[in-house]
Order: sequence, then C-alpha cells, then structure tokens
Amino acid sequence: MKKLVDAEVAIQTMKLRQLGAKIRVINSKMCYVVFDLGSFKVKYAYNVNKDGNYFLERIAPYPLPLREFENEEGVVNIIEIDIEQFQNALKSHNINSFIDINQKLNKTIRKFEDLFLYYNVSEEKTSKIYNMLKEINEEIDSAKADSKRLYFKKEPENL
Amino acid sequence: MQEHLIVGVSLFSLTYLLIVSEKVNRTAIALFGAILMLIFNVEKQEVAFGHIDFNTIGLLVGMMIMVNVMKRTGIFEYMAIKTAKVSKGDPWKIVFLFSLLTGVSSALLDNVTTILLVVPVTIVIANALDLNPIPFLVPEVLIANIGGTATLIGDPPNIMIGSATGLGFMDFLINLGPIVVVIIFVTLYILKKVYGSQLIASDEKRKKILSMNEHLAIKDKSLLIKSLTVLGITIIGFMLHQSFHYESATVALLGGSFLLLISKIDPEEILMEIEWPTIFFFASLFILVGALEDVGAIEFLAGKMLLLTKGNLFFTVMFVLWGSAIASAFLDNIPFVATMIPLIKSLAVLSAINITPLWWALALGACLGGNGTLIGASANVIVSGMLKKQGYELSFGEYMKVGFPVMLVSIVLSSVYMIVFYL
Repeated sequence: MKKLVDAEVAIQTMKLRQLGAKIRVINSKMCYVVFDLGSFKVKYAYNVNKDGNYFLERIAPYPLPLREFENEEGVVNIIEIDIEQFQNALKSHNINSFIDINQKLNKTIRKFEDLFLYYNVSEEKTSKIYNMLKEINEEIDSAKADSKRLYFKKEPENL
Repeated sequence: MQEHLIVGVSLFSLTYLLIVSEKVNRTAIALFGAILMLIFNVEKQEVAFGHIDFNTIGLLVGMMIMVNVMKRTGIFEYMAIKTAKVSKGDPWKIVFLFSLLTGVSSALLDNVTTILLVVPVTIVIANALDLNPIPFLVPEVLIANIGGTATLIGDPPNIMIGSATGLGFMDFLINLGPIVVVIIFVTLYILKKVYGSQLIASDEKRKKILSMNEHLAIKDKSLLIKSLTVLGITIIGFMLHQSFHYESATVALLGGSFLLLISKIDPEEILMEIEWPTIFFFASLFILVGALEDVGAIEFLAGKMLLLTKGNLFFTVMFVLWGSAIASAFLDNIPFVATMIPLIKSLAVLSAINITPLWWALALGACLGGNGTLIGASANVIVSGMLKKQGYELSFGEYMKVGFPVMLVSIVLSSVYMIVFYL
C-alpha cells in the first residue's frame, strides 16, 4: 500500500514540477479526530511532521482552517476549547441556525471565489457585494453588543 | 527424529500453503511458522538463527539504502523525460527506449524498485500523449523481470542462489547476460506486434512531450553526483568482489553506508524506507527451509527427483527450468527458490550430476516465470495496482494474453541456450 501511495505522490509531484513548482515531500502522520456531540459530529484533521509544525483543520460541522502550531499541546488545547464551545452552543435553541448560517457562509465564500476567478465583474457589482458584506459585519457586531457572553476561558480571536 | 520430521514437514507445508494462498500476509505467516519451528522443538533457536543467510539480507539492505537515497535525486524522472524527448514523442519509440532503460536499471537494482521509479514517469508521459498507459507499462514490467534475470543483484532469486553457491556478479552476468539480451529483443519484437497499433499520437500531443523540461526533475544535483559515483563504485565492486574475496553483501553494505554518510540525509528517514517486511520474510523462510533440511525432508525430495529424472542432466535441467517457470508464474518465487536451493545441493550429494547448469536453469525459470501471470511477480502486482489508482483496469486475463506467451517464448529460448551451451 505504501508503495502505491509513493507512486501516486511521484506522479503528482512530477506534473507539478513541470508546471514550475518547487516541492518538498515530508514524512508525516495525518490524524483524524471525531467527537460525537449527539445531534452532530465535530471532526478535525491535523498533520504532524518531523519539522514540528502541526496543521489543524476542522472538517465538520463546517470546514475551518484552525491554525498552524509548533507543538502538539497547542493542537489539543485548541480542540479542547473548540469542543467546549460547541457543547455550550448545543444548549442554545439557535444551534441549528448557527450551523446552517456557517455552512451557507462557507458556500458563499466559494461562490464569490468562482465569481472572481471565472468572470470579469463590474466595479459597481463588486462595490455592492462589499457594502452588503460590511452590513453583515455590522450586524454581527451589533448582535455581539446585545448578547450575553457565555464562554470566558479564551478571548475571541476575530470579534 | 521421526516426530521432528512429521512436525517440521507439517509446519512447513501449512505455512507454505498459507503463503501461496495469499489469504494471509506472507511476512506474518512466514514469521509465525518459523517461530513455531522453535516452539515445537523442531530446531533449537541458535541453529534456526544460524540458517538465516545474512549475505542475502545484507545485500538486500545495502541496495535498498542506496536506492532510497538515489530516488531523492530525481535521476529516473530526468532520464525518462530525456528519453521521451529523444524519441521525439513517438509512442512506440518511447515504449522501446523506456523498456530498455527499465531492463538495464532492473539488472542493477531490484525489479520492484525499478518499476516504482519508472512507472509513475511513464504514466505522466502516457497522460501527456493522451494514450492508455497499459501498452506502455506491460512492456516495462515484462522487460524489468527479464532484465533482472541477468545479474546477481537484479532479482531476489538470483541473490539467494548467488549467496548459497558462491557464484558471483560476473558469473551471473557472463552466464545469463547473453540469453537475457536475446530474450529482451525477441520480447520487444512480440510487443511491437501486440501493441504497435495502439501507440499512435497526434503531432500536438508529441509537442507536449518535447516541451517538458528534464532539468526540472533534478531535485538535488550534489546528491545526484554523490549517488551516481557511489553506485558506479559499487557496481565495479560487484564485478571484482570474488577476486578480493569479499561477499556481495559486504560490497552492497559498503556502498549503502558510504552513501548514507556522505548524503547527509537523516539515516532514520532512509532506514524507515527499507522494505522490512521483505527482509523479515526472507529471514523467516531461511529458518523454515533450514528446518526442513535438518529433519531430512529436502534429502528425501532430492532422492525422489533423482528417481524421476534418473540422474540425467538434460532431464534434470529441463525439469528445473520448466518446473520453476510454471511454479513462479503462479506462486511467489522467493519461497520456491529458497526450497529449491537445498534440494539442488542435495542432488550433488546423492549423485555425480554437475549441478552448475541447474543454478542457471533455476535462475532463468524462477525470474522469467514471473512474467507468466499478473500474480507471478511483485512488480506485476504493483503495476496493476498503480493502473487501478489511475482508473485503468489490467485484468488477470488481459495481462496473461501477453505475459504467458512471452514467458513461454523466454523459456523455449532459455532451453535452447541451456542445450547449446551447458548440456
């Protein structure tokens, strides 16, 4: 099996090198982590390599790159906090809407990328999307101001 | 003694059956069978461990170290792109030259390793030409198995035969090299007839091959120079090892350890890439066959073989050549050769027969026989797996339609060669 994986990597890297890429193949281990929270599962994937970098990503309930860490404690801590936050969120009657909105936001990002990469969009339309995005952000800030904070173990990174 | 014979033969037969059934991992069952020989007191541990042929193990490990360093240089990718460009993108010329490249490489490296290095590049080239990779890969794997037959280090059966008999690199090259060259060109002629009509590409696709840059394939020029220098010295070492009274494993381990030292790559990374399951499989087989020999079963089989062939060298050579070819087409040739080696040695003890031609017959039969079916050689199985991952199906029947006739032609040519030069 390992031989076939090595061969597969050889095919891909040869094609990418011919496209001009510089490639470094690193031996690493990929870990899949699953927490069953009852109504949904929270899934993560992280990669451990010899260089000591850990790439962590949440796969479900919606995908989110969670950062690069320099030790495994960082990975465990961030997963622990993430799970605690989801367990907290589970108590809310809005949990399903919350997951649904996040999934839709992710889809919107992908749609916008396609729009940008495949079409020559007018300045007027781009500006309209920008203003709507600004409105959404203001609405999030306003929701924060009107809501009671539930989690204090860690400060929010983006809000 | 009678008890030891019954238990030893039963354990060996059961283990052998499970290995050839491929229902259980071959290394796991061989190791378990070997340890049961100790548990049931068929052999004492020190005697059993004494059966392990460390020359074979050392040669395999030394060459694996060298190859694992070399593959980081990108040399095979470079050579393949260069060859494809020399062929001006003509698919049949690419097949022809890639097959020759594979044949020469597998004479100097293990077949499986060669295939793992050449096949990914071939798939990329076939994709660029928008052609099915099967007509590229079947010739490559057939020629890899044939090329590996020519030298002591080309195929595991030869490593085992060389180690057990003291026959060296030059003995193999002189005795098997000429017939291997003939078989390669006859096989390529057959393959041209079989696949020629499928190997046509448009000018536009050919230009795609010519636009490839072979220099992008070289990942580490300094490592490449070091690797080629050490490989060259090691091959010269193989050519001279008998004159200096060194075992072939000493030469391979010298090359491997020296390259490991000067490459400055973390040894853990290289040693991790060694095919330890293969090494443990060999070690376990040596214990199993050694036990069978010690309980007298091999001598018994040799006696039966003498009765069958009446001690006639011609019949014995043909029996070994064709028998090992047919067996190797369907079974793993490593345990087969491991069993045949002490059996042929016993023939020398029981009769006045000259057994040297039998070693060449065994090497030719066991190595070339692997071409007969898709399961005949590890390289075939790997190619089939790689094709499947790429979305192509090389069925047992489709492979056999080409592989089996090629194998029969190879063995007919080998028979003529043996009759003309050795009988």
